Amino acid sequence: MKRKIAILLTVAMGIASLAACGGDGDKTSGGESDKGQASTSGGNEEATRDGKKEITFWHYMSEDKEGKYVMEAVDEFNNSQDEIYVNAQYLPREELMKQYSIGVVSGELPDCGMVDNPDHNSYASMGVFEDITDLYDSWDEADFLEGSLNSCKYEDKLYGIPWGNNCLGLFYDKDMLEAAGVEVPTTWSELEAACEQLSKDDVKGLAISAIGNEEGTFQFMPWLLSAGGDINNLSSDSSKEAVTYLKNLMDKGYIGKECVNWTQADAEKQFASGQAAMMINGPWQFSGLKDDAPDKNYGVAKVPKADDGDYASVLGGENVAICKGADVESSWTFLTYMTNKENSPKICKEIGRFSPRADVDVQEMFKDDPLNSVFADLMPQAQSRGPSPKWPEISAAIYTAEQEVFTGQKDVDTAMADAQAKVDGINESLK
Amino acid sequence: MNSKREKRERVMGYCFILPAVVYMLIFIGYPIVYNWIISFQDVTATTLGSSARDFLGFDNYRAVFGDPTFPRAVKQTFFYTIFCLIFQFVLGFLFAMFFSKNFSFSKPIRGFIVISWMLPITVTALVFKFMFAEGNGIINTILLELHLIKEPIGWLIQEKTAMWGLIIANSWVGIPFNMLLLTTGLNNISTDVYEAASIDGANVFQRFARITLPLLKPTIMSVLVLGFVYTFKVFDLVYVMTGGGPVDATEVMSTYSYKLSFQLFHFGEGAAVANVLFVCLFLVALLYLKTISKDEVI
Repeated sequence: MKRKIAILLTVAMGIASLAACGGDGDKTSGGESDKGQASTSGGNEEATRDGKKEITFWHYMSEDKEGKYVMEAVDEFNNSQDEIYVNAQYLPREELMKQYSIGVVSGELPDCGMVDNPDHNSYASMGVFEDITDLYDSWDEADFLEGSLNSCKYEDKLYGIPWGNNCLGLFYDKDMLEAAGVEVPTTWSELEAACEQLSKDDVKGLAISAIGNEEGTFQFMPWLLSAGGDINNLSSDSSKEAVTYLKNLMDKGYIGKECVNWTQADAEKQFASGQAAMMINGPWQFSGLKDDAPDKNYGVAKVPKADDGDYASVLGGENVAICKGADVESSWTFLTYMTNKENSPKICKEIGRFSPRADVDVQEMFKDDPLNSVFADLMPQAQSRGPSPKWPEISAAIYTAEQEVFTGQKDVDTAMADAQAKVDGINESLK
Repeated sequence: MNSKREKRERVMGYCFILPAVVYMLIFIGYPIVYNWIISFQDVTATTLGSSARDFLGFDNYRAVFGDPTFPRAVKQTFFYTIFCLIFQFVLGFLFAMFFSKNFSFSKPIRGFIVISWMLPITVTALVFKFMFAEGNGIINTILLELHLIKEPIGWLIQEKTAMWGLIIANSWVGIPFNMLLLTTGLNNISTDVYEAASIDGANVFQRFARITLPLLKPTIMSVLVLGFVYTFKVFDLVYVMTGGGPVDATEVMSTYSYKLSFQLFHFGEGAAVANVLFVCLFLVALLYLKTISKDEVI
């Protein structure tokens, strides 16, 4: 008798687990078991909350910082109408990117989500996002800056809307500069001279991020562009000059060698804790600096320009897009709410970004704000990365070359020639 | 009568393992098979979403083996694994022997040591990243204070030392694991054997070499094989501490596969690297099964 019960139980368990797996299989339909934190509500589901259509929105604005403003905006949207309920989910940037790739195969995509603008092209080519060219053309508030809008395009079709822009500037500790008796540097020579005065035993003159990922490339671009370099001509003298200059600052001890392992958030920690007198970083760090070092007396300036070059900055920021097979109509309503003329400048300001809309005058908006105005002035000439579906590979060639030089594995000539060879290969494969 | 009962018992046995087998087929078997399939297909950013991908044969494998980073990653994975195993095993063994002496407080102290094994790897990795920092890391500060080094060492940012930084961090995690398993093994050896040996005049070294080691052999084999598998497939520690850098100095197979798949979108090549990793581990697992069954026969 006991044995029969045991057998029955076992069989029941087996069937139950089969059923559970089957159900799960339907949903993921690809069987990737690593679904991360955001595994709720698949693409087509029309779950309801208070009778509303529910859609999912993925973003990577960290919950304790910019993320809370994103949540506020989403809540406002949810309360503003009774058709759609947006379920916003935070995933760290790297995780979110991975989930998009996995989602293409498994079908486990949100309705809409955020994407870092240099990567947008790759994901569009992968088929993560819906083509929204027609919707955009019929939108009466469709007025965005060309550079930002271009980053949403792939093969002349539009796959997203710009959400927020940023760029890089030079943060400096006013008290340290005053104590050392140096002016805010504007050129490379001035920067080197300032670093010489500012660097002491425990304090470095400048903190940058030269880590082996997109952030490293992003931080390298202003130097490259100001020297007159070009990502399609990395072995030119101008391109080499940029690496040589930074390597020289590092050899003299003005930039910490650790920067090859630092993210931009790590650079911010160095600056906030007073271990670096200056740093290269972006406006999204304002809120972090307020938390980490509320009493810090700092200012922002443009990234110093090459002695015979111009100021340069690089366009960073995020786009939002609708995923394949999602509830396009509801998502479009939500995304246009977030990026319309009324809300875009407001949300962007709160999260340390600049509105990518052409009809928002960010210079005028921030003219009385000594910190933000610097970035606002830089925005129009900030150059975008790509757009190219192979940007991640181009970026890898650039940050690898930078790391090879910084760690002394290759000299500048070899590293940059190798990087150029890689870029040539990538461009060739795109033809 | 008897054979009927045996048959019934066998059927029941299969029923008991059925749920586990089904679970494993779906959640472990399927991804492995899927991974083999895409490693022979042209899976890049543009083809990931489409169902009709070109069959490439061994092109992905050829591309991977032709990439100078891959042999380096393989070499580094083995280097990392072997040195981690040596440190973990030797130190873990010493700790196990030490704590088996049962002096006062030996149990609570042993408990403390195990903490390092229970911490999430990401936490350990971050802490070690700070400790190894060039400018203000505690390791450099201590070494400088003791006048063992004149200049601070950029542990994780130099090609030569970065891998050692990882090995040290991983050994710190692995020592308690080795210690725990070996302690259990040591406790299973009867004290009578040692007593008999000492009456026969065996000294400490003879007792260790002739009694402890042979009787501990099955445990040692399990520890080494399990340690190998855990260490060989390292990902999070490397990803957090160095991200495979500087340049490729600490790239191991798992991080290289991740980079190919999720950063450069060469999914087919990433799968190929993962399969090489799989084959290596599979061979080790076979070796383990063989040695175990041999021991059981004896």
